Amino acid sequence: MDEINQVEILIVEDNPSDAEMALRAFKKNNLTNKILVVEDGEEALDYLFKKGQYATKNKDSRPKIILLDLKLPKINGLEVLKEIKSHPETKIIPVIVLTSSKEESDIIESYQLGVNSYIVKPVDFEKFVEAVRDLGFYWLLLNQLP
Amino acid sequence: MSENKGNLEFRIITLALLMVAHLIAFSHPDTLVDHNFLKGYPNFDTILIGSEPDYPPYCIVDENGQPDGFSLELFMAAAKAAGLQVKIKIGIWEVIKNELANGKIDALPLVGRTPEREEIFDFTLPYLKLHGAIFVRKDTKDILSLEDLTEKKLIVMKGDNADEYADRARLAKTIIHTNTFEEAFQMLANGEGDAVITQRVMGLRLLENMEINTIKPLDINLPDFRQDFCFAVKKGNQELLNHLNEGLSVVIANDTYQHIYFKWFGPVIKEELSTEDVVRVALFIFFPLVIIMVVLWVLVLRKEVKRRTRRLRNEITNHKNTWHELTLKQEKLAASEDQIRLLLDSTAEGIYGIDKNGNCTLINKSAIELLGYDNDSEIIGKNVHHLIHHSKVDGSNYPIDECAIYNSFIAGKKTHIDKEVLWKKDGSSFPVEYYSYPIQQGEQVVGAVVTFWDISDKKRTEKELLKLTEELELTVEKRTAELNEKVLKLDKSQQAMLYMVEDLNRIASELKNERRKLELSNKELEAFTYSVSHDLRAPMRAINGFSNFLLEDYADKLDQEGRRYLDTIKKNAIKMDKLITDLLSLSRVTKADLVYTTVDMKQMATRAFEDMATTNEKQDFNFEIKNLPSIKGDVTLLTQVWQNLIGNALKYSSKASVKNIEITAEDSKDEVVYKICDSGAGFNEKYKDKLFGMFQRLHRDNEFEGTGVGLAIVKRIIIRHGGRVWAEGQVDQGARFYFALPKQ
Repeated sequence: MDEINQVEILIVEDNPSDAEMALRAFKKNNLTNKILVVEDGEEALDYLFKKGQYATKNKDSRPKIILLDLKLPKINGLEVLKEIKSHPETKIIPVIVLTSSKEESDIIESYQLGVNSYIVKPVDFEKFVEAVRDLGFYWLLLNQLP
Repeated sequence: MSENKGNLEFRIITLALLMVAHLIAFSHPDTLVDHNFLKGYPNFDTILIGSEPDYPPYCIVDENGQPDGFSLELFMAAAKAAGLQVKIKIGIWEVIKNELANGKIDALPLVGRTPEREEIFDFTLPYLKLHGAIFVRKDTKDILSLEDLTEKKLIVMKGDNADEYADRARLAKTIIHTNTFEEAFQMLANGEGDAVITQRVMGLRLLENMEINTIKPLDINLPDFRQDFCFAVKKGNQELLNHLNEGLSVVIANDTYQHIYFKWFGPVIKEELSTEDVVRVALFIFFPLVIIMVVLWVLVLRKEVKRRTRRLRNEITNHKNTWHELTLKQEKLAASEDQIRLLLDSTAEGIYGIDKNGNCTLINKSAIELLGYDNDSEIIGKNVHHLIHHSKVDGSNYPIDECAIYNSFIAGKKTHIDKEVLWKKDGSSFPVEYYSYPIQQGEQVVGAVVTFWDISDKKRTEKELLKLTEELELTVEKRTAELNEKVLKLDKSQQAMLYMVEDLNRIASELKNERRKLELSNKELEAFTYSVSHDLRAPMRAINGFSNFLLEDYADKLDQEGRRYLDTIKKNAIKMDKLITDLLSLSRVTKADLVYTTVDMKQMATRAFEDMATTNEKQDFNFEIKNLPSIKGDVTLLTQVWQNLIGNALKYSSKASVKNIEITAEDSKDEVVYKICDSGAGFNEKYKDKLFGMFQRLHRDNEFEGTGVGLAIVKRIIIRHGGRVWAEGQVDQGARFYFALPKQ
């Protein structure tokens, strides 16, 4: 249970392959922070707002960054994003959207809802590692949030 | 004798005055004139006169104390004749004389005319001429002439003519003045004086009254003591003087004088007249009197002449005015007659007048012309019905007792006819319309005025109109039939149209259904595309990703062939991903709504080159871009066009020795043609139709990688913008791609 309270990166991704590749990409960039992967929108919200299986979570604990896939079972990524950005306690957490194509109209909508950045999930894994590096969000993780 | 002589003189004066009066009367044949002439004077205000109480028989008072006497009565008569009211005041001579001089009274009836008095009074003509006499006691013997009085005591009444005379003629050294004549005679009788001088008649009458018989008048002539007795007025009172003179003339003329004279002095005793007397009277009295009367008459005459002249002048003026008015009326009448004649002659309608017998009294020019006559003398005075109205339209006889004009005007009514004819001089006729109005004088019909005009044209027009109407009816009938036919045809056409409309409606409804289906399938396609983009790519990522992990983590456990297999797996996974990406692009091009903005094409192409070219390519390529006109279009889609075309140019030039890309544009009226040239591999023109086909490739994958979707996308975008796209090229000679976009 302590691990749950120490989560620094929350990945919301229903595809385990993609999730694993993301983890590997972080590792390749030497980002070895505590990572939690949840597989649908509902679970993500439960974790963030301490409901369901995460009800006992330390209320002060929250991830330093969220990677959010848009196409999710139960509650889709845009709805999750909307919830995060409409609550003061979660609003300040940087959210990076994971998307299959940069041409997606979803991206525009994500920005309207207050997303901080996005990563196109490339087929070429090396490009994904590059993207993680380019985005430089490890910098965000190194610096403690207030 | 002297007394008789005085009476005689008076008689003559009276006769003379009568003659003058008669002359005046004769000069006015209308005897009323005199009367009116006097009456015509405005009433003079009531005048006040003075009268003496003791001058018999001229001015006295009767036993009732009322003033009386010859002079007074004569004055009253004259005043009455002159229309004057008189009030009388009694007073002694000296007092009333002064009162007249002061203007306190207006006149005195008895004043002897003397030079002294003429200074203060004005006198009427004398009505009495009296002579003075020297009265002495009968026993006096020593007074035989006037000179004998010088040494004697002479008695006179103060202020009397005699007093003035005695003074003037210096008759005596000693003159005794008394207040009255009675006093003077009393003193003489008592021997207190020697003589009294006074008027003879008055003196004798007074002595008789005083019953003194010891005194007698001497028969000595006193030529300078002759008295003319007149009415007197204050000096300058000419108006009253004139009245009194006129009154006096009247009473002398109408016997009143004689009557009064007879009353006071009795009948005149006829006497023999000596030649000397007659001559004297003629010389001294008659002629001057005549002259005076003539002057008076002339005055009166002149006044009357003036009056009559004035009246005549007025009458002349009146006559002149009347004459002038008559002349004016006559001129007006003549003018209005001229106007009426002008009016009659200037109207186009024929007008004629007939008397009650139906004979023509007047006719205007138009009527003469319409009837074909030369002048009015051919018609005036003749029976108009017999001349121009004798026959009916069909030529049969038209008796006068049937004639509408004749019958109506005899009945005093007007009539209007337009179905008859009038007959011209040459025997021809014309249809006519006429009005006939009766002329009435009071209740009496004296004739009629007929106004007529030729209605040949009107009748002809009516006929033509009738004909036209008939023709029109025929035409209308014909046209109606034609129309009916057309309507029938139209009905059929309409039926056909209705069927067509039904068909159209059905088709429209089908189209609607199709559209709905299409919309549905579009939505499905969208969902499908979304699935493809997410779900189909995920396995590709996994295949590629995990192949990569295998190579990284287990490279040492694989031989070269094993590694080649993994590379092939990765390559195909990447190609699959590329295919999916292009497919997504294509579907987006098809479904996305166009958002038109003005696009800076040069900037857009330049950025596309920057995005598409790798660092090496940027160095290797000679990229030249000319000035490109801006155009209206969708930013996202046009960006895709430039990316695809520039990407192609880069790809197909990669193996060429010379690497050139040139972008130009040609601006024409309706469109802009953009052109991108490269010096790359080019293509065989016989396959150019396949260039823009979906999944069509002209090169093998091992020559140039590709999916065959890029140009298909370009073509779709340009066509969606209403433009066109084409290409030119030769193998190894480079390619030229053109796309044209409309300006609107």
